[in-house]
Amino acid sequence: MKFFWPNQSKNWKETIESIITAKPLSPFHPEVLSFLQSISKAILKDHSYRRYPELVALAYWLRKAHLSEMQESYVKKAGERMVLARGTALHFAPSNVDTIFVYSWVLSMLAGNSNILRISGRKQEQTELLLRAIINGLEDYPEVASRTAILTYEHNNETTQYLSERCHIRVIWGGDETVKAIRSIPLAPLATELAFPDRFSLSVLEAGAVLNADDHEFNGLIKNFYNDGFWFAQMACSSPRLIVWTGEEKSIESAQDRFWTQLNSYLDEHLEEYSPALQVQKLTTGYSLSDKESVVNFLHLPNFSRLKVNNIDLDIRERHCGGGLFVELDLPQLYDLIPFLDDKDQTLSYFGFTKSQLMEFAEGVGNRSIDRIVPIGQALDFEGIWDGYDLLMHFTREIVIR
Amino acid sequence: MIEPFEMDCKEKQTYLLNELNSLTNFHYKQCKPYRNMIDKSGQTTVAGSIEEIPYLPVQLFKLMDLYSINEDYVFKVLTSSGTTGQQVSKIYLDKETAAAQTKALVSLMKPLLGTKRLPMIIIDTKNVLKDRKSFSARGAGILGFSNFGRRPFYVLNEDMSVDWEGLTTFLEQHKGEKLLLFGFTFMIWKYFYQEAVKKGIHLDLGDSILIHGGGWKKLKEEAVSNEIYKGSLQSQFGMGSIHNYYGMVEQVGSIFAECSHGHLHTPIYADVLIRDQITFKPLPIGEQGLIQVLSVLPKSYPGHSLLTEDLGTIHGEDDCPCGWKGKYFSVAGRIPKAEIRGCSDTFAFDQKGENQS
Repeated sequence: MKFFWPNQSKNWKETIESIITAKPLSPFHPEVLSFLQSISKAILKDHSYRRYPELVALAYWLRKAHLSEMQESYVKKAGERMVLARGTALHFAPSNVDTIFVYSWVLSMLAGNSNILRISGRKQEQTELLLRAIINGLEDYPEVASRTAILTYEHNNETTQYLSERCHIRVIWGGDETVKAIRSIPLAPLATELAFPDRFSLSVLEAGAVLNADDHEFNGLIKNFYNDGFWFAQMACSSPRLIVWTGEEKSIESAQDRFWTQLNSYLDEHLEEYSPALQVQKLTTGYSLSDKESVVNFLHLPNFSRLKVNNIDLDIRERHCGGGLFVELDLPQLYDLIPFLDDKDQTLSYFGFTKSQLMEFAEGVGNRSIDRIVPIGQALDFEGIWDGYDLLMHFTREIVIR
Repeated sequence: MIEPFEMDCKEKQTYLLNELNSLTNFHYKQCKPYRNMIDKSGQTTVAGSIEEIPYLPVQLFKLMDLYSINEDYVFKVLTSSGTTGQQVSKIYLDKETAAAQTKALVSLMKPLLGTKRLPMIIIDTKNVLKDRKSFSARGAGILGFSNFGRRPFYVLNEDMSVDWEGLTTFLEQHKGEKLLLFGFTFMIWKYFYQEAVKKGIHLDLGDSILIHGGGWKKLKEEAVSNEIYKGSLQSQFGMGSIHNYYGMVEQVGSIFAECSHGHLHTPIYADVLIRDQITFKPLPIGEQGLIQVLSVLPKSYPGHSLLTEDLGTIHGEDDCPCGWKGKYFSVAGRIPKAEIRGCSDTFAFDQKGENQS
């Protein structure tokens, strides 16, 4: 058991106990708000954070203006009702989307909860920078500090069980196996749980719109797509991995040509972080998938790989390795995508569709798939509503007074 | 039998290109998954140069069962060494390919070992060979090299302790003779050398020869270089020469042996290319990149041209001062594992879970 916060801990169970017994804060407590703003400022003014766009994005998310926006919308929803924190939230963060644990924690903190965060013990520069900003901040905000534990431990069932029995809400970010493993450990009878397992995401581009886009709009599309598809090495649950093209065959072909050619030159200039292992893995994945009947062809380039399919199943979704591998499917219309969707599919980012087309499409979806439909460029933006849950609402409870 | 290190570059390239093209063609016809990979990636089976021969990433054999023979003809299945829970490569051999591997290995070790079978010490346990139908990389290596020795003596007990008594008896029986010692780089170091150091045991093995392979990953962690390795073993055991080799279970038989000048050499049955780590474009002599290995031996499975995850550098061709022809190169180690950056991986819970079950 290693604590990142509090700094000194003689007996870890005592530390946990003191967090659990602390009285929850009121939602959007002023000290929580100023603590979050201080982190935002610390990140934005320190140059060492610039290398990590996801940390900068987090800092923007924590700015005063955005927090006020969230507060307004919360106040509107809560109305006259008496809405309070649940108590103590226990968060299991994924090891590698470094910022997720902060989003989860922040929303829970805004709800007023005390928080225990189990983060990955793996050393990564982004995480360490982030922790530095957080720990510096906590030192100045005792109300938050006394309600927070950030820790890591070699996974073992006893510790997880000890913590699970004491929290009021458990939040699991992780792979399917992780979610299953943690779920098998019982919670206190009164506690509830939010789980965010493996998901798969896609982009839909209307060929005509891609062809007709003027240079300015088109270059914006390329840049946005780059952010969505290449940050986190395409391994975030909302990173697009399937690219669906709609339109007539001929125009799809020209649109793809325009799109991939431009993306390739953009990547030549902007892609800095190449991983040799991922390059090999992409080639391996592409070849192994080539044995499937649904795979039409496989084009491996240094900047990205394209795998054209005429059908997509769960196997392709699960074997996807990230790192710039794009599965492509051509369809006449957006609506034709519906039968191909799987429960796993989370974010659909789009280019060239109207809101009413998207609404019609969303209404047509008959399974559990699709939790977000956003323009290309916003796939990775974290929102208070995730995988269909309004997180703030789930982090709180309502007292009925008649 | 063709001499392994005597053909010069020009002649060799023509010979290899022919052999490898006909293998590509053979596997294309016999192995449907391979055909799909070639067709769907828009490649052809006829290459104009060695560089153009299609190559498969070596870890593909961990994901798929790839073979070009009728299942009834599977004679042995080789598996790569992997820690528990890891996927292992499966290499399907028929009698013909297995025989060709043995023959090639015998011929390419001849320049080092001569034609006489030497009394042999295997620095491993007999256990590795228990199952005769399915072999680990260790088993395959031991079996392949046993052909060079007489009455091999296994120096490690089942629990990996050294059978010092047995060794003393063996050495007395063969006093004054040249011996062949064989084992895996890391195991020799940990279970034989370090034990000897601990016990203060020194041997004088005269002009005996030690052949070892299997990779440097763990020794690198302990900062043991090839030079340190050689020096330490020689001062402890006093053998005449120590030769490392580079080879893999996916291409058994056509290994790359270290010459008297410490370079790994390509024999006539095989070739290496170095490719850029990112673009996979072939690199010139002297530049480091991913090692691609080519071998004329794999007939029962499409493994004649493989892209490894090892980094290496070719230092020259046909002009090594040792006198052997062929490309000579060195291996620098493995590329770092892909860092999984994604929501899908929570704090290695998955891995731990595997160990527990």
